[in-house]
Amino acid sequence: MIDRPHAVATDPGKCIGCVACSQACPTKAIRVRNDLAAIDDELCIDCGTCIEACAYDAIRPRTSSPADLRKFKYTVAVPSLTLYAQFGDDVLPGRVLHGLRQLGFDETYDISWMCEMVASATDAFLSESKGPWPKISVTCPAVVRLIQIRYPDLIPNLVPIETPRELAAKLRRRRLAAERGLDPSEIGMFFITPCTAIIHSIESPEGLEASYLDGAFAITDVYGQLLKAIKHDPGSDSTEMISPRGLRWAMAGGEISSMRNANTITVRGLRDVVYVFDRIESGTFQGLDFIEAYICPGGCVGGQLTVAGRYLAQRNIRQLARRMGDQGAVKEEKVRSLLRDHFFDIESEIRARQVRPLARDLRQAIALKREKDALLEHLPRKDCAACGAPDCETLADDIVRGNAKLADCVFVRLEELEGKPALQQGGDDA
Amino acid sequence: MNADEPTTPRDEPLEPHPAEGEVLYKETFRIIGNDFEHGGEAAARVKAILKQLAFPTDAIRRLSIANFEAEMNVIMYADDAEMELAVLPDAVRVTFADHGQGIPDIAWAMQEGNSTATPEMRARGFGAGLGLPNIKRNSDEFSISSIVSVGTTLCYVVYVNGSNRGAQ
Repeated sequence: MIDRPHAVATDPGKCIGCVACSQACPTKAIRVRNDLAAIDDELCIDCGTCIEACAYDAIRPRTSSPADLRKFKYTVAVPSLTLYAQFGDDVLPGRVLHGLRQLGFDETYDISWMCEMVASATDAFLSESKGPWPKISVTCPAVVRLIQIRYPDLIPNLVPIETPRELAAKLRRRRLAAERGLDPSEIGMFFITPCTAIIHSIESPEGLEASYLDGAFAITDVYGQLLKAIKHDPGSDSTEMISPRGLRWAMAGGEISSMRNANTITVRGLRDVVYVFDRIESGTFQGLDFIEAYICPGGCVGGQLTVAGRYLAQRNIRQLARRMGDQGAVKEEKVRSLLRDHFFDIESEIRARQVRPLARDLRQAIALKREKDALLEHLPRKDCAACGAPDCETLADDIVRGNAKLADCVFVRLEELEGKPALQQGGDDA
Repeated sequence: MNADEPTTPRDEPLEPHPAEGEVLYKETFRIIGNDFEHGGEAAARVKAILKQLAFPTDAIRRLSIANFEAEMNVIMYADDAEMELAVLPDAVRVTFADHGQGIPDIAWAMQEGNSTATPEMRARGFGAGLGLPNIKRNSDEFSISSIVSVGTTLCYVVYVNGSNRGAQ
Protein backbone atom coordinates (compact mmCIF):
# COMPACT_ATOMS: atom_id res chain seq x y z
CA MET A 1 0.00 0.00 0.00
CA ILE A 2 1.83 3.08 -1.21
CA ASP A 3 0.10 6.40 -1.05
CA ARG A 4 2.63 9.17 -1.61
CA PRO A 5 6.29 9.41 -2.49
CA HIS A 6 8.72 9.00 0.36
CA ALA A 7 10.70 11.86 1.81
CA VAL A 8 14.02 10.56 0.57
CA ALA A 9 15.20 10.33 -3.03
CA THR A 10 18.43 9.24 -4.67
CA ASP A 11 20.24 11.64 -6.96
CA PRO A 12 21.53 9.50 -9.87
CA GLY A 13 24.12 12.14 -10.68
CA LYS A 14 25.75 11.82 -7.28
CA CYS A 15 25.20 8.17 -6.30
CA ILE A 16 28.31 6.12 -6.98
CA GLY A 17 26.69 2.80 -6.14
CA CYS A 18 28.55 2.08 -2.92
CA VAL A 19 26.51 0.11 -0.41
CA ALA A 20 26.74 2.31 2.68
CA CYS A 21 23.05 3.28 2.64
CA SER A 22 21.89 -0.22 1.88
CA GLN A 23 23.79 -1.63 4.84
CA ALA A 24 22.65 1.15 7.16
CA CYS A 25 18.95 0.92 6.33
CA PRO A 26 17.06 -0.52 9.30
CA THR A 27 14.25 -2.02 7.23
CA LYS A 28 16.48 -3.32 4.42
CA ALA A 29 14.65 -1.12 1.95
CA ILE A 30 17.62 -0.24 -0.29
CA ARG A 31 19.14 -2.26 -3.12
CA VAL A 32 22.07 -1.05 -5.17
CA ARG A 33 21.62 -2.07 -8.78
CA ASN A 34 23.60 -0.75 -11.72
CA ASP A 35 25.54 1.56 -9.41
CA LEU A 36 22.42 3.27 -8.17
CA ALA A 37 20.72 3.01 -4.79
CA ALA A 38 17.01 2.29 -5.21
CA ILE A 39 14.64 2.73 -2.28
CA ASP A 40 11.75 0.31 -1.87
CA ASP A 41 8.64 2.35 -1.10
CA GLU A 42 6.92 -0.48 0.71
CA LEU A 43 9.68 -0.92 3.26
CA CYS A 44 10.95 2.64 3.72
CA ILE A 45 10.04 4.30 7.02
CA ASP A 46 11.62 7.66 6.12
CA CYS A 47 13.95 7.54 9.09
CA GLY A 48 16.70 9.27 7.12
CA THR A 49 19.42 6.85 8.19
CA CYS A 50 20.49 6.61 4.54
CA ILE A 51 21.02 10.36 4.33
CA GLU A 52 23.40 10.16 7.27
CA ALA A 53 25.15 7.12 5.85
CA CYS A 54 25.77 8.59 2.41
CA ALA A 55 29.18 10.18 2.02
CA TYR A 56 28.32 11.58 -1.42
CA ASP A 57 25.27 13.66 -0.57
CA ALA A 58 23.37 11.49 -3.03
CA ILE A 59 20.27 10.92 -0.94
CA ARG A 60 18.28 14.06 -0.45
CA PRO A 61 15.09 14.97 1.39
CA ARG A 62 12.07 15.99 -0.64
CA THR A 63 11.32 19.38 0.87
CA SER A 64 9.01 22.19 -0.15
CA SER A 65 10.34 24.88 -2.47
CA PRO A 66 9.99 28.67 -2.10
CA ALA A 67 7.58 28.55 -5.04
CA ASP A 68 5.18 26.55 -2.86
CA LEU A 69 4.76 29.60 -0.63
CA ARG A 70 3.25 31.53 -3.51
CA LYS A 71 0.34 29.12 -3.74
CA PHE A 72 -1.14 30.59 -0.58
CA LYS A 73 -2.55 33.98 0.40
CA TYR A 74 -1.08 33.79 3.88
CA THR A 75 1.87 31.71 4.99
CA VAL A 76 2.90 30.48 8.43
CA ALA A 77 6.23 28.98 9.44
CA VAL A 78 5.84 26.39 12.20
CA PRO A 79 9.38 25.71 13.41
CA SER A 80 10.43 22.51 15.09
CA LEU A 81 11.75 23.35 18.56
CA THR A 82 15.04 22.01 17.28
CA LEU A 83 15.40 25.16 15.19
CA TYR A 84 15.80 27.21 18.40
CA ALA A 85 18.67 24.91 19.36
CA GLN A 86 20.76 25.67 16.27
CA PHE A 87 22.11 28.95 17.58
CA GLY A 88 24.25 30.08 20.48
CA ASP A 89 23.27 31.83 23.68
CA ASP A 90 22.85 35.27 22.13
CA VAL A 91 20.06 34.17 19.80
CA LEU A 92 16.90 33.54 21.76
CA PRO A 93 13.72 32.07 20.20
CA GLY A 94 12.21 35.55 19.72
CA ARG A 95 15.00 36.44 17.31
CA VAL A 96 14.72 33.13 15.49
CA LEU A 97 10.99 33.71 14.97
CA HIS A 98 11.65 37.29 13.88
CA GLY A 99 14.32 36.18 11.44
CA LEU A 100 12.11 33.47 10.02
CA ARG A 101 9.54 36.07 9.02
CA GLN A 102 12.21 37.90 7.02
CA LEU A 103 12.53 34.78 4.86
CA GLY A 104 9.08 35.35 3.40
CA PHE A 105 6.57 33.94 5.86
CA ASP A 106 3.68 36.13 6.96
CA GLU A 107 3.90 34.82 10.49
CA THR A 108 5.56 32.23 12.68
CA TYR A 109 3.92 29.94 15.16
CA ASP A 110 5.65 28.40 18.15
CA ILE A 111 4.68 24.87 19.25
CA SER A 112 6.44 24.59 22.63
CA TRP A 113 3.26 25.34 24.56
CA MET A 114 1.40 22.70 22.56
CA CYS A 115 4.12 20.20 23.49
CA GLU A 116 3.42 20.94 27.12
CA MET A 117 -0.33 20.54 26.50
CA VAL A 118 0.18 17.17 24.85
CA ALA A 119 2.36 15.97 27.74
CA SER A 120 -0.43 16.92 30.08
CA ALA A 121 -3.04 15.24 27.88
CA THR A 122 -0.87 12.11 27.74
CA ASP A 123 -0.80 12.02 31.53
CA ALA A 124 -4.57 12.22 31.63
CA PHE A 125 -4.85 9.50 28.99
CA LEU A 126 -2.48 7.17 30.85
CA SER A 127 -4.41 7.54 34.09
CA GLU A 128 -7.59 6.40 32.34
CA SER A 129 -6.21 3.83 29.91
CA LYS A 130 -6.66 0.12 30.45
CA GLY A 131 -3.66 -0.90 28.39
CA PRO A 132 -2.09 -2.68 26.65
CA TRP A 133 1.07 -1.50 28.36
CA PRO A 134 3.44 0.15 27.89
CA LYS A 135 1.88 2.92 25.85
CA ILE A 136 4.16 4.28 23.15
CA SER A 137 4.44 7.90 22.02
CA VAL A 138 3.53 8.77 18.43
CA THR A 139 5.81 11.82 18.38
CA CYS A 140 8.45 10.27 16.11
CA PRO A 141 6.76 9.36 12.81
CA ALA A 142 9.53 6.92 11.92
CA VAL A 143 8.78 4.99 15.11
CA VAL A 144 5.11 4.83 14.11
CA ARG A 145 6.05 3.56 10.62
CA LEU A 146 8.41 1.00 12.11
CA ILE A 147 5.61 -0.30 14.31
CA GLN A 148 3.24 -0.47 11.34
CA ILE A 149 5.52 -2.61 9.24
CA ARG A 150 7.56 -4.54 11.78
CA TYR A 151 5.62 -4.60 15.05
CA PRO A 152 1.94 -4.57 14.07
CA ASP A 153 1.05 -6.14 17.42
CA LEU A 154 2.18 -2.95 19.13
CA ILE A 155 -0.28 -0.70 17.30
CA PRO A 156 -2.76 -0.88 20.21
CA ASN A 157 0.07 0.42 22.43
CA LEU A 158 0.33 3.70 20.52
CA VAL A 159 -1.01 6.72 22.40
CA PRO A 160 -4.01 7.95 20.38
CA ILE A 161 -3.09 11.60 20.88
CA GLU A 162 -2.10 13.70 17.89
CA THR A 163 1.37 15.28 17.75
CA PRO A 164 1.97 18.86 18.94
CA ARG A 165 2.99 20.03 15.45
CA GLU A 166 -0.28 18.88 13.87
CA LEU A 167 -2.42 20.12 16.74
CA ALA A 168 -0.72 23.52 16.67
CA ALA A 169 -1.26 23.80 12.92
CA LYS A 170 -4.88 22.74 13.26
CA LEU A 171 -5.57 25.31 15.95
CA ARG A 172 -3.73 28.17 14.28
CA ARG A 173 -5.27 27.54 10.88
CA ARG A 174 -8.73 27.54 12.36
CA ARG A 175 -8.15 30.79 14.25
CA LEU A 176 -6.38 32.53 11.39
CA ALA A 177 -9.20 31.71 9.00
CA ALA A 178 -11.67 33.32 11.39
CA GLU A 179 -9.46 36.32 12.22
CA ARG A 180 -8.52 37.14 8.65
CA GLY A 181 -11.63 36.03 6.84
CA LEU A 182 -9.67 33.49 4.81
CA ASP A 183 -10.67 30.09 3.61
CA PRO A 184 -8.54 27.55 5.54
CA SER A 185 -7.14 26.33 2.22
CA GLU A 186 -5.75 29.80 1.47
CA ILE A 187 -3.43 29.51 4.45
CA GLY A 188 -0.13 27.73 3.89
CA MET A 189 1.46 26.22 6.98
CA PHE A 190 5.04 24.99 6.63
CA PHE A 191 6.97 23.02 9.20
CA ILE A 192 10.66 23.78 9.61
CA THR A 193 11.82 20.22 10.06
CA PRO A 194 14.83 18.52 11.59
CA CYS A 195 14.13 15.21 9.85
CA THR A 196 12.74 13.36 6.86
CA ALA A 197 10.24 11.36 8.89
CA ILE A 198 8.15 14.45 9.56
CA ILE A 199 8.23 15.42 5.87
CA HIS A 200 6.66 12.10 4.99
CA SER A 201 4.19 12.36 7.87
CA ILE A 202 2.91 15.55 6.26
CA GLU A 203 2.62 13.86 2.83
CA SER A 204 0.99 10.70 4.13
CA PRO A 205 -0.05 11.15 7.73
CA GLU A 206 -1.00 8.33 10.07
CA GLY A 207 -3.87 8.96 12.44
CA LEU A 208 -5.14 11.80 10.26
CA GLU A 209 -6.99 11.90 6.97
CA ALA A 210 -4.82 14.81 5.87
CA SER A 211 -2.08 16.77 7.57
CA TYR A 212 -2.85 20.23 8.90
CA LEU A 213 0.54 21.25 7.53
CA ASP A 214 1.09 21.99 3.85
CA GLY A 215 4.77 21.21 3.53
CA ALA A 216 8.16 21.34 5.17
CA PHE A 217 11.48 23.08 4.77
CA ALA A 218 14.59 21.48 6.20
CA ILE A 219 16.45 23.30 8.95
CA THR A 220 19.57 22.81 6.81
CA ASP A 221 17.84 24.60 3.92
CA VAL A 222 16.83 27.71 5.85
CA TYR A 223 19.76 27.93 8.25
CA GLY A 224 22.14 30.05 6.16
CA GLN A 225 19.55 32.63 5.16
CA LEU A 226 18.10 32.68 8.64
CA LEU A 227 21.48 33.34 10.22
CA LYS A 228 21.99 36.23 7.82
CA ALA A 229 18.56 37.64 8.60
CA ILE A 230 19.17 37.40 12.34
CA LYS A 231 22.51 39.17 12.05
CA HIS A 232 21.08 41.83 9.78
CA ASP A 233 18.04 42.62 11.92
CA PRO A 234 18.35 42.50 15.72
CA GLY A 235 14.56 42.54 16.14
CA SER A 236 12.78 39.99 18.26
CA ASP A 237 9.22 38.65 18.20
CA SER A 238 7.18 38.06 21.31
CA THR A 239 8.03 34.93 23.25
CA GLU A 240 5.06 35.20 25.57
CA MET A 241 3.60 31.97 24.23
CA ILE A 242 6.76 29.93 24.59
CA SER A 243 6.69 27.22 27.23
CA PRO A 244 10.18 26.64 28.63
CA ARG A 245 9.06 23.21 29.81
CA GLY A 246 7.73 22.38 26.36
CA LEU A 247 11.07 23.32 24.78
CA ARG A 248 12.55 20.14 26.17
CA TRP A 249 10.56 18.09 23.65
CA ALA A 250 13.31 18.86 21.17
CA MET A 251 15.53 16.34 22.87
CA ALA A 252 15.08 12.74 23.89
CA GLY A 253 13.75 12.65 27.43
CA GLY A 254 11.94 15.95 27.05
CA GLU A 255 8.55 14.44 26.62
CA ILE A 256 8.59 12.40 29.83
CA SER A 257 10.33 15.19 31.73
CA SER A 258 7.21 17.31 31.50
CA MET A 259 4.87 14.47 32.49
CA ARG A 260 3.58 13.65 35.93
CA ASN A 261 3.65 9.88 35.45
CA ALA A 262 7.17 8.74 36.27
CA ASN A 263 6.80 5.08 35.32
CA THR A 264 8.25 5.96 31.94
CA ILE A 265 11.41 5.60 29.89
CA THR A 266 13.05 7.20 26.89
CA VAL A 267 14.45 4.96 24.17
CA ARG A 268 17.07 6.63 22.03
CA GLY A 269 18.18 5.60 18.59
CA LEU A 270 17.10 2.94 16.17
CA ARG A 271 19.15 0.11 17.64
CA ASP A 272 17.67 0.60 21.09
CA VAL A 273 14.18 1.07 19.70
CA VAL A 274 14.44 -2.32 17.97
CA TYR A 275 15.87 -3.87 21.14
CA VAL A 276 13.00 -2.59 23.28
CA PHE A 277 10.21 -3.27 20.77
CA ASP A 278 11.43 -6.82 20.21
CA ARG A 279 11.10 -7.38 23.92
CA ILE A 280 7.75 -5.68 24.35
CA GLU A 281 6.45 -7.79 21.50
CA SER A 282 7.76 -11.00 23.00
CA GLY A 283 6.49 -10.12 26.46
CA THR A 284 9.80 -9.76 28.31
CA PHE A 285 9.56 -6.01 28.82
CA GLN A 286 6.82 -5.31 31.31
CA GLY A 287 5.77 -3.04 34.11
CA LEU A 288 6.10 0.33 32.35
CA ASP A 289 3.35 2.83 31.59
CA PHE A 290 4.87 4.89 28.82
CA ILE A 291 7.73 4.87 26.35
CA GLU A 292 9.05 7.86 24.50
CA ALA A 293 11.01 6.49 21.56
CA TYR A 294 13.08 8.20 18.88
CA ILE A 295 14.76 6.80 15.81
CA CYS A 296 17.41 9.54 16.11
CA PRO A 297 19.73 8.93 19.05
CA GLY A 298 19.34 12.34 20.67
CA GLY A 299 15.70 12.81 19.79
CA CYS A 300 14.69 15.56 17.36
CA VAL A 301 17.86 17.59 17.98
CA GLY A 302 19.68 14.66 16.36
CA GLY A 303 17.71 14.82 13.10
CA GLN A 304 19.62 14.45 9.83
CA LEU A 305 18.49 17.86 8.58
CA THR A 306 20.06 19.92 11.37
CA VAL A 307 23.21 21.99 11.57
CA ALA A 308 24.36 22.23 15.19
CA GLY A 309 24.51 18.50 15.81
CA ARG A 310 22.80 16.77 18.67
CA TYR A 311 25.28 17.44 21.45
CA LEU A 312 25.49 21.20 21.04
CA ALA A 313 21.78 21.40 20.29
CA GLN A 314 20.96 19.52 23.48
CA ARG A 315 23.08 21.88 25.46
CA ASN A 316 21.47 24.88 23.75
CA ILE A 317 17.94 23.68 24.51
CA ARG A 318 18.72 22.98 28.15
CA GLN A 319 20.34 26.37 28.46
CA LEU A 320 17.35 28.06 26.80
CA ALA A 321 14.80 26.33 29.00
CA ARG A 322 16.75 27.36 32.07
CA ARG A 323 17.15 30.97 30.96
CA MET A 324 13.46 31.22 30.24
CA GLY A 325 12.53 30.03 33.70
CA ASP A 326 12.05 26.28 33.12
CA GLN A 327 8.36 26.57 33.90
CA GLY A 328 5.14 25.40 32.42
CA ALA A 329 2.86 27.83 30.63
CA VAL A 330 -0.22 25.68 30.35
CA LYS A 331 -3.26 25.63 32.59
CA GLU A 332 -4.54 22.21 33.49
CA GLU A 333 -8.21 23.20 33.26
CA LYS A 334 -7.59 24.21 29.66
CA VAL A 335 -6.12 20.78 28.88
CA ARG A 336 -9.03 19.04 30.56
CA SER A 337 -11.64 20.99 28.67
CA LEU A 338 -9.85 20.34 25.36
CA LEU A 339 -9.63 16.65 26.26
CA ARG A 340 -13.38 16.57 26.80
CA ASP A 341 -13.85 18.14 23.37
CA HIS A 342 -11.62 15.39 21.90
CA PHE A 343 -9.30 18.07 20.57
CA PHE A 344 -6.22 15.88 21.08
CA ASP A 345 -7.61 12.67 19.59
CA ILE A 346 -6.07 11.15 16.51
CA GLU A 347 -8.66 11.27 13.78
CA SER A 348 -8.22 7.96 12.04
CA GLU A 349 -7.07 4.49 12.93
CA ILE A 350 -3.38 3.67 12.58
CA ARG A 351 -3.22 0.40 10.66
CA ALA A 352 -0.65 -2.31 10.19
CA ARG A 353 1.21 -2.29 6.89
CA GLN A 354 1.78 -5.90 6.14
CA VAL A 355 5.12 -6.36 4.50
CA ARG A 356 4.90 -8.79 1.61
CA PRO A 357 5.02 -12.44 2.60
CA LEU A 358 6.93 -14.83 0.34
CA ALA A 359 3.64 -15.79 -1.32
CA ARG A 360 -0.06 -15.49 -0.55
CA ASP A 361 -0.60 -19.21 -0.97
CA LEU A 362 0.65 -21.23 1.99
CA ARG A 363 2.11 -24.14 0.03
CA GLN A 364 3.84 -21.80 -2.36
CA ALA A 365 5.19 -19.71 0.50
CA ILE A 366 6.55 -22.82 2.20
CA ALA A 367 8.20 -23.94 -1.03
CA LEU A 368 9.84 -20.53 -1.38
CA LYS A 369 10.95 -20.55 2.24
CA ARG A 370 12.63 -23.94 1.73
CA GLU A 371 14.28 -22.62 -1.40
CA LYS A 372 15.45 -19.55 0.49
CA ASP A 373 16.87 -21.62 3.37
CA ALA A 374 18.72 -23.81 0.87
CA LEU A 375 20.14 -20.80 -0.93
CA LEU A 376 21.31 -19.34 2.33
CA GLU A 377 23.31 -22.50 2.97
CA HIS A 378 25.28 -21.76 -0.19
CA LEU A 379 25.81 -18.06 0.31
CA PRO A 380 29.02 -16.97 2.06
CA ARG A 381 27.25 -15.29 5.03
CA LYS A 382 29.75 -12.45 4.93
CA ASP A 383 27.01 -9.88 4.49
CA CYS A 384 29.37 -7.82 2.32
CA ALA A 385 26.47 -6.26 0.39
CA ALA A 386 28.49 -6.24 -2.83
CA CYS A 387 25.54 -7.96 -4.55
CA GLY A 388 23.41 -4.90 -3.93
CA ALA A 389 21.33 -6.41 -1.13
CA PRO A 390 22.36 -5.47 2.41
CA ASP A 391 23.13 -9.04 3.52
CA CYS A 392 23.08 -12.66 2.38
CA GLU A 393 19.67 -13.40 3.84
CA THR A 394 18.11 -10.50 1.98
CA LEU A 395 19.80 -11.64 -1.24
CA ALA A 396 18.31 -15.11 -0.77
CA ASP A 397 14.95 -13.47 -0.20
CA ASP A 398 15.32 -11.34 -3.32
CA ILE A 399 16.32 -14.39 -5.38
CA VAL A 400 13.31 -16.49 -4.44
CA ARG A 401 11.06 -13.54 -5.17
CA GLY A 402 12.65 -13.26 -8.61
CA ASN A 403 14.31 -9.90 -7.96
CA ALA A 404 17.93 -11.04 -8.01
CA LYS A 405 20.03 -13.95 -9.14
CA LEU A 406 22.61 -16.13 -7.43
CA ALA A 407 25.33 -14.84 -9.74
CA ASP A 408 24.89 -11.42 -8.14
CA CYS A 409 27.01 -12.82 -5.30
CA VAL A 410 30.68 -12.13 -5.95
CA PHE A 411 31.75 -15.15 -3.91
CA VAL A 412 29.55 -17.44 -5.93
CA ARG A 413 30.99 -15.98 -9.13
CA LEU A 414 34.52 -16.40 -7.82
CA GLU A 415 33.87 -20.05 -7.14
CA GLU A 416 32.61 -20.40 -10.68
CA LEU A 417 35.77 -18.81 -12.03
CA GLU A 418 37.89 -21.11 -9.94
CA GLY A 419 35.92 -24.00 -11.35
CA LYS A 420 34.67 -25.24 -8.03
CA PRO A 421 31.46 -27.17 -8.49
CA ALA A 422 30.10 -25.38 -5.49
CA LEU A 423 26.49 -25.20 -6.47
CA GLN A 424 23.98 -27.10 -8.43
CA GLN A 425 22.31 -23.86 -9.41
CA GLY A 426 24.38 -22.88 -12.41
CA GLY A 427 27.76 -23.21 -10.77
CA ASP A 428 29.06 -25.80 -13.20
CA ASP A 429 28.70 -24.17 -16.55
CA ALA A 430 31.91 -22.11 -16.39
CA MET B 1 9.24 -38.98 21.18
CA ASN B 2 11.21 -41.35 23.42
CA ALA B 3 10.88 -43.70 26.35
CA ASP B 4 9.93 -40.79 28.55
CA GLU B 5 6.67 -40.38 26.68
CA PRO B 6 4.41 -39.02 29.39
CA THR B 7 1.02 -40.46 30.07
CA THR B 8 -2.10 -38.86 31.36
CA PRO B 9 -2.47 -38.70 35.11
CA ARG B 10 -5.50 -40.65 36.32
CA ASP B 11 -7.55 -37.74 37.49
CA GLU B 12 -6.96 -35.38 34.56
CA PRO B 13 -9.26 -35.83 31.60
CA LEU B 14 -7.24 -35.28 28.47
CA GLU B 15 -8.96 -33.35 25.73
CA PRO B 16 -9.28 -34.91 22.31
CA HIS B 17 -5.91 -34.99 20.61
CA PRO B 18 -5.30 -31.75 18.68
CA ALA B 19 -5.74 -31.54 14.96
CA GLU B 20 -3.93 -34.00 12.86
CA GLY B 21 -3.47 -33.29 9.21
CA GLU B 22 -0.87 -33.07 6.55
CA VAL B 23 2.19 -31.36 7.99
CA LEU B 24 3.39 -28.95 5.33
CA TYR B 25 6.32 -27.57 7.27
CA LYS B 26 8.06 -28.61 10.42
CA GLU B 27 10.84 -27.10 12.47
CA THR B 28 12.12 -27.88 15.93
CA PHE B 29 13.74 -25.66 18.50
CA ARG B 30 15.61 -26.61 21.63
CA ILE B 31 14.85 -24.67 24.79
CA ILE B 32 17.20 -24.88 27.77
CA GLY B 33 16.04 -24.53 31.37
CA ASN B 34 17.22 -21.41 33.19
CA ASP B 35 18.38 -19.82 29.94
CA PHE B 36 16.73 -16.49 30.65
CA GLU B 37 19.18 -14.75 28.36
CA HIS B 38 17.51 -16.28 25.32
CA GLY B 39 14.00 -16.32 26.72
CA GLY B 40 11.42 -15.58 24.05
CA GLU B 41 13.74 -16.17 21.12
CA ALA B 42 12.10 -19.35 19.88
CA ALA B 43 8.70 -17.65 20.00
CA ALA B 44 10.16 -14.72 18.06
CA ARG B 45 11.64 -17.03 15.41
CA VAL B 46 8.36 -18.84 14.96
CA LYS B 47 6.65 -15.50 14.57
CA ALA B 48 9.12 -14.44 11.86
CA ILE B 49 8.56 -17.71 9.99
CA LEU B 50 4.78 -17.42 10.09
CA LYS B 51 4.93 -13.82 8.88
CA GLN B 52 6.86 -14.95 5.81
CA LEU B 53 4.27 -17.64 5.24
CA ALA B 54 1.47 -15.06 5.14
CA PHE B 55 -0.39 -16.24 8.23
CA PRO B 56 -3.04 -13.75 9.36
CA THR B 57 -1.88 -11.29 11.99
CA ASP B 58 -4.42 -12.39 14.56
CA ALA B 59 -3.46 -16.06 14.34
CA ILE B 60 0.20 -15.13 14.68
CA ARG B 61 -0.55 -12.90 17.64
CA ARG B 62 -2.45 -15.59 19.54
CA LEU B 63 0.10 -18.26 18.77
CA SER B 64 2.96 -15.98 19.80
CA ILE B 65 1.41 -15.30 23.19
CA ALA B 66 1.00 -19.05 23.76
CA ASN B 67 4.51 -19.81 22.48
CA PHE B 68 6.09 -17.23 24.72
CA GLU B 69 4.29 -18.50 27.82
CA ALA B 70 5.22 -22.09 27.03
CA GLU B 71 8.83 -21.19 26.29
CA MET B 72 9.17 -19.28 29.56
CA ASN B 73 7.59 -22.18 31.42
CA VAL B 74 10.39 -24.41 30.17
CA ILE B 75 13.03 -21.85 31.06
CA MET B 76 11.64 -21.38 34.54
CA TYR B 77 10.67 -24.92 35.48
CA ALA B 78 12.15 -27.59 33.21
CA ASP B 79 15.62 -28.92 32.39
CA ASP B 80 15.18 -28.66 28.65
CA ALA B 81 12.57 -29.12 25.98
CA GLU B 82 12.01 -29.66 22.33
CA MET B 83 9.55 -27.30 20.74
CA GLU B 84 8.05 -28.50 17.51
CA LEU B 85 6.34 -26.18 15.08
CA ALA B 86 4.07 -27.95 12.60
CA VAL B 87 2.34 -25.97 9.89
CA LEU B 88 -0.86 -27.66 8.75
CA PRO B 89 -3.04 -26.51 5.84
CA ASP B 90 -5.36 -24.46 8.07
CA ALA B 91 -3.62 -24.41 11.41
CA VAL B 92 -0.38 -24.29 13.31
CA ARG B 93 0.35 -26.95 15.90
CA VAL B 94 3.01 -26.48 18.54
CA THR B 95 4.24 -29.23 20.80
CA PHE B 96 6.50 -28.72 23.79
CA ALA B 97 8.00 -31.91 25.22
CA ASP B 98 10.14 -31.17 28.23
CA HIS B 99 12.28 -33.08 30.65
CA GLY B 100 11.93 -31.87 34.18
CA GLN B 101 10.03 -31.89 37.40
CA GLY B 102 6.61 -32.31 35.80
CA ILE B 103 3.34 -30.97 37.15
CA PRO B 104 1.83 -33.00 40.03
CA ASP B 105 -1.63 -31.45 39.81
CA ILE B 106 -2.54 -30.21 36.34
CA ALA B 107 -6.05 -29.13 37.32
CA TRP B 108 -4.50 -26.88 39.99
CA ALA B 109 -1.92 -25.47 37.58
CA MET B 110 -4.62 -24.69 35.05
CA GLN B 111 -6.35 -22.33 37.45
CA GLU B 112 -5.48 -18.67 37.10
CA GLY B 113 -3.38 -17.34 39.92
CA ASN B 114 -1.84 -20.65 40.93
CA SER B 115 1.90 -20.63 40.55
CA THR B 116 4.98 -22.28 41.98
CA ALA B 117 7.24 -19.43 40.81
CA THR B 118 10.07 -18.39 43.09
CA PRO B 119 10.40 -14.80 44.32
CA GLU B 120 13.23 -14.30 41.77
CA MET B 121 10.93 -15.28 38.91
CA ARG B 122 8.21 -13.01 40.25
CA ALA B 123 10.70 -10.17 40.42
CA ARG B 124 11.18 -10.60 36.68
CA GLY B 125 7.49 -10.15 36.10
CA PHE B 126 6.65 -13.84 35.81
CA GLY B 127 4.84 -16.19 38.13
CA ALA B 128 1.43 -14.56 38.09
CA GLY B 129 -0.06 -18.01 37.61
CA LEU B 130 -1.46 -17.12 34.22
CA GLY B 131 0.86 -19.13 32.00
CA LEU B 132 -1.07 -22.31 31.25
CA PRO B 133 -4.51 -20.67 31.33
CA ASN B 134 -3.18 -18.03 28.95
CA ILE B 135 -1.94 -20.68 26.52
CA LYS B 136 -5.29 -22.38 26.60
CA ARG B 137 -7.15 -19.10 26.15
CA ASN B 138 -5.12 -18.12 23.11
CA SER B 139 -5.29 -21.46 21.35
CA ASP B 140 -8.14 -23.30 19.66
CA GLU B 141 -7.15 -26.76 20.85
CA PHE B 142 -5.09 -27.57 23.88
CA SER B 143 -3.86 -30.67 25.67
CA ILE B 144 -1.39 -31.30 28.43
CA SER B 145 0.01 -34.36 30.15
CA SER B 146 2.70 -34.71 32.72
CA ILE B 147 4.63 -37.21 34.81
CA VAL B 148 6.25 -36.01 37.99
CA SER B 149 10.05 -36.12 37.80
CA VAL B 150 9.91 -37.01 34.12
CA GLY B 151 8.39 -34.13 32.22
CA THR B 152 5.45 -32.42 30.65
CA THR B 153 4.07 -32.51 27.13
CA LEU B 154 2.02 -29.60 25.98
CA CYS B 155 0.30 -29.37 22.64
CA TYR B 156 -1.87 -26.63 21.24
CA VAL B 157 -3.30 -25.59 17.91
CA VAL B 158 -4.21 -22.21 16.51
CA TYR B 159 -6.45 -22.27 13.47
CA VAL B 160 -5.76 -19.78 10.71
CA ASN B 161 -9.32 -18.52 10.87
CA GLY B 162 -9.94 -19.91 14.31
CA SER B 163 -12.83 -18.73 16.39
CA ASN B 164 -10.64 -19.12 19.47
CA ARG B 165 -13.35 -20.77 21.48
CA GLY B 166 -11.29 -20.31 24.62
CA ALA B 167 -11.27 -16.52 24.40
CA GLN B 168 -13.16 -14.45 26.94
